[in-house]
Parts: sequence; C-alpha cells; structure tokens
Amino acid sequence: MRPTLSQAVARLILLPGLAISIATLVKGYGDAGDGFAAGVIAALTLLVQYVAFGYREAERRIPGLRRLPVAAVAGLARALAVALVPAARGDAILTHWPPPGDSPVRLGTLELVSAVLFDVGVFLVVLGVVTGAVGAIARAAERAGGRA
Amino acid sequence: MIALAVGIPWVAAVALLFLDGRRRWVGWLAVTAAAAGFGTVAALAALVVVDGPREVVAGGWPPGVGIVLRADALGVAFAVLSSGVLLVALAQQVIAGVRSRTFPALVLFLATGLTGLFLTGDVFNFYVFFELSMIAAYVLTTYGGRARQTGGAFIFAVVNLLGSFIFLIAVAAIYHVTGTLEMRAVADQLAVVEPSTVILIAVALFVAFGVKLGLFPFHFWLPVVYAGARPTVAAILGGALANIGSYGVLRFGAGLLPRELELGAVALLVIGGASIVYGSLQAVSRRTAPEVLAYSSIGQVGYVLVALSVGGRAGLAAAVVFALVNSLNKALLFLTVELRGWLVGAAFAVGALSVTGVPPSAGFFGKAALFRAGLDAGDVAVVVLLFLGGALSFVYMFQIYQRDHWRPASATAPGGSSPLAARAIAIGLAMLVIALGVWPEPLISIGEDAASALLGGR
Repeated sequence: MRPTLSQAVARLILLPGLAISIATLVKGYGDAGDGFAAGVIAALTLLVQYVAFGYREAERRIPGLRRLPVAAVAGLARALAVALVPAARGDAILTHWPPPGDSPVRLGTLELVSAVLFDVGVFLVVLGVVTGAVGAIARAAERAGGRA
Repeated sequence: MIALAVGIPWVAAVALLFLDGRRRWVGWLAVTAAAAGFGTVAALAALVVVDGPREVVAGGWPPGVGIVLRADALGVAFAVLSSGVLLVALAQQVIAGVRSRTFPALVLFLATGLTGLFLTGDVFNFYVFFELSMIAAYVLTTYGGRARQTGGAFIFAVVNLLGSFIFLIAVAAIYHVTGTLEMRAVADQLAVVEPSTVILIAVALFVAFGVKLGLFPFHFWLPVVYAGARPTVAAILGGALANIGSYGVLRFGAGLLPRELELGAVALLVIGGASIVYGSLQAVSRRTAPEVLAYSSIGQVGYVLVALSVGGRAGLAAAVVFALVNSLNKALLFLTVELRGWLVGAAFAVGALSVTGVPPSAGFFGKAALFRAGLDAGDVAVVVLLFLGGALSFVYMFQIYQRDHWRPASATAPGGSSPLAARAIAIGLAMLVIALGVWPEPLISIGEDAASALLGGR
C-alpha cells in the first residue's frame, strides 16, 4: 500500500512539471535554461510517478514511458545530425542557423534557431537514459524478490 | 575531415543500437563502419604527416570561444593505432560470433571516444570523450556475462571512475589557474605560473593517467580485469584503451606541463622502474597466458614512463614509438591467446619476440629508441633497467609459448583449430609487426614528428 498523499502530489505535479521542462527547453536561448536542465526536470517529474505508484502502475498511467529509452537513441541521432549536417555543406561542425548577428524568425516570444533542434536531442537523451535506467533497476529489483 | 573521423563511428554506433548485434550481417555492418572510420583516420594521418597539423573550430567561432578539434602527428598516430586495433578486434569477434546485442555498437562508441580524445584541442572535450570511451569500456568488460567478467568489470568501473574523478578535479584546477581550456592557451598560461601551484595539478593528472595505464602503485585493478575479460575485450583494453594513458601522459606531461615534467623526472624514473621490475617478476611467476600478459602490460608501460623521464626530443620520440609498438604487441598477443591451429604459434611467437625486443620485429625499434635515448642522456639506470626488463620478458614470454604452443594440440584445445579467418587476422597482425620491424622508417618518423609537435607547443 502506497501513501495516498504522495500519490496525490505526484498526480498534481505531473503536467505542470512537464510544462515547465518544455518551457525551459524552448526558452533556453533568450532566458536561462537548456536541453540538459529541461531533461533533468522532466525526468525528475516522471521519477516521482515511479516512486509514488510503483513502476507497473506508473507505466500503465503514462503511455509511452516504457518506450523512452528508444527516445534517448533517437535524441542522440538527432543531436548528431544537427552537429554534422553543416559539415556536409562545407561549414564547420555545429554551425548554427541563423548565423550570429542575424535576427531569428520569431513565433510569438519563441525564437526559431537550429540550436533548439540540437537541444531537443539533448533533452531526449537525458530523459530517456534516466527513466530507462530507473525502470531497469525497478525490474531487476523485482526479479531479485524485492518490492518493486 | 576531422569531424568526419569522429562522426562516422559515432553515427554508425547510434544506428547499430537499434539493431541486434548478434546477427551476422549487423556485425559485418559494424566492421564496415569501423573500417570506414579507420580509413578516414588513416587518410587524415597522411594529410597531417605531409602538410602539418590541421584544425577545425566548431560552429565557425573564433578560437578560444568555439570548441577546437586539432589533429597533429601525436594525435593521429594514436588515433590510427587505436581505431585499427578496434577494427581488428571487432572483426575477430564477429567471426567467432557475437553473443551480446550491443557489442558492435559499444565497440564503435569506444572508437568514437578514442578518436575524439586524440583529435581534440580542448581539455574539457578531452574529458568528455574520455568518459564516453570509459563508459563503453565498462560495459564491454562485462561481455561474456559470467561472474568472472562481471566481477572484473565492477572493479574496473570503480577504480577508473575514481581516476576520472581525479582527472576532472585537475581539469577544474587548470581552468581555475589559467582561465581557459584550450590546450595551447593552457600551455602558454601555465608556463608563467609558479611551479609550486602547478605541481599539484601535474600530480593529479599523473595519478589519473597512471590509473588508466596500470602503473605500479595504481596497478591493482589491472590483472583481475585483463585476465577475467574475454580475449577480444582484453585486446581492446590493452591495445586501444590503454593508449589513453600513454597519450595523456605525453600530451599533458610533455605538451602542457614541461617544467613540471622535468621537476618530476626522478619520480617518473623510479615509478617506471618499479613498474618494469614488479610487472616482469609477477609475470614470470604466473601460469596462464592472460595473467602473464596482464602483468607484462604493467611492466611494459613502465618503459613509456622511463622514456619520458629521460625527456628531450629523443626521449619523447622513444616514448611515442614504444607506446605505439606496445599497443600493437598487446593486441596481437591477446587476440592470439585463445586461437589454435596452423601458424597461430608463429603469430604468437612474433608477438612474444616483439615484446622482448628481438629483431626483426617492431619491438626491437621501440627498445632501440629507448636505449639510444638512455645512452645519449648518459643515464646508467635507464640502460640497466632496459637490460633487466628485457631479460625477464624473454623468460615469461617463452614460458607461455612453451606451455601453450609446444604441447600436442589435443592437450590444450579440445575443439581443434580455430576458424581460418580468425587465424588470418592474427597472422596479418603478426606480419604487420614484422613489416614495421623490417621497414621502421614510418614508425620512427612519426615518433620524431610527434616529439616536435609536443616540443613546438611551447
């Protein structure tokens, strides 16, 4: 039996936590924040679900949680692509668009720069690796006869 | 070109994570990618040797702001050797059959980390690539999945995480003292700082790389891990991963902290000498080939340190040549250890001769370069150490040779001889060792180039 209070808190912070992490991700270029910090926030939010509900229930409640390690690999591939595509075009690796000095395309307060694409990759890597590692430990602990 | 050298194995490694590495075609795909990476590094090396160092700054930023990738003679020499050893070890494992899903991807991640590490011009990036290679290596050490491998991997991970941590502290200290992480700027800044401040950083770096190399007082993890791991993994650890230590000692010691290196020359000589004597004596007393080779590794890295303590152009060149030849020997010996059949004994004997330094093997020129450096410096201790180490290595190498290859085949290998392709790889490596002994010009000239790259950094 798991404490009701922590379950209630976990339920309450799930969506706001994810929203804050996404805001940290996309605002990282005008304000404080980046893909790594955003990934950590999102991962911690999901870890609270694991702790409060146990991994079976958490994975039932949040569809796609089990598949997040795949997202880590996809994120790594994406970050690498952003880093290497400029090299294919003859620029130095990790050259970003638009170049320094140009004003980026704006979407409301959002600035569309290719560095965001790179950071989305970083975000997915952090999120996928942390949840994947904790999920694997939970399963291993259950196999070993412990409480999952 | 530099970005491509790091990028090919990296992209391939990520792609292979999605595939099941136990399938034959996936394994060969990984070998192809490793070969492409090796080819790029080799082409880069040819360019560097002909035209001099090349440099790329990420993002087209001015140097000092952006991350710098730099290929000089020292870096490319180690990069070519490491990716070559990884290619050969991966090919041999694929021929024997891969028994783990992620093995090919991990080897490619390791190739990425090592290539990046040897081609970076930035201290922090060095750390990042260093960790990438180490993490891949931790997982690789568990390959085989028995208690022996897992136990070895645990010790390996714990000890080396400690080493990485000490290295990270040293990086932070470098940044604190100099305010930069770009290697050339660091070297310029450190040259004008009081040696009493820098000596602590130098000691921390030395301990970190000493752990990686398995030098005498930091060697305790090495025999368990090398003897416990599968032979291909041991070849990867001894032939590719240990290069981090030699390269680190050379790059950071001779390249960034030359004054501190001179101050510590006696200490290096003592530690190097202790490694040689301890490693060789232990190796003589061991009974199984992997154990003998593990202790022999401890002894062999001692020579690199002794060459560094001699210092100067000749000493550095000798250290580079010896480190390269030593990795090649270790890769050959570990890959040959479990093979049986026609000509395998010969391949093993070539490796053994190369370790002891008998011509016409590449090992002869490693030892000869050391010997000349020692004579030039008029250092009696170095010459005596070389004789002693050489004699002991002769004893232990031929003890294993007798035990493993002179008995009737049925007594040692119940399964008969190994696949022809696996033997062909071992024999090919042995031919390379002999070829480098017969025609040592490229090896010696890259050693000289690397030494001038290190000395020219000041």
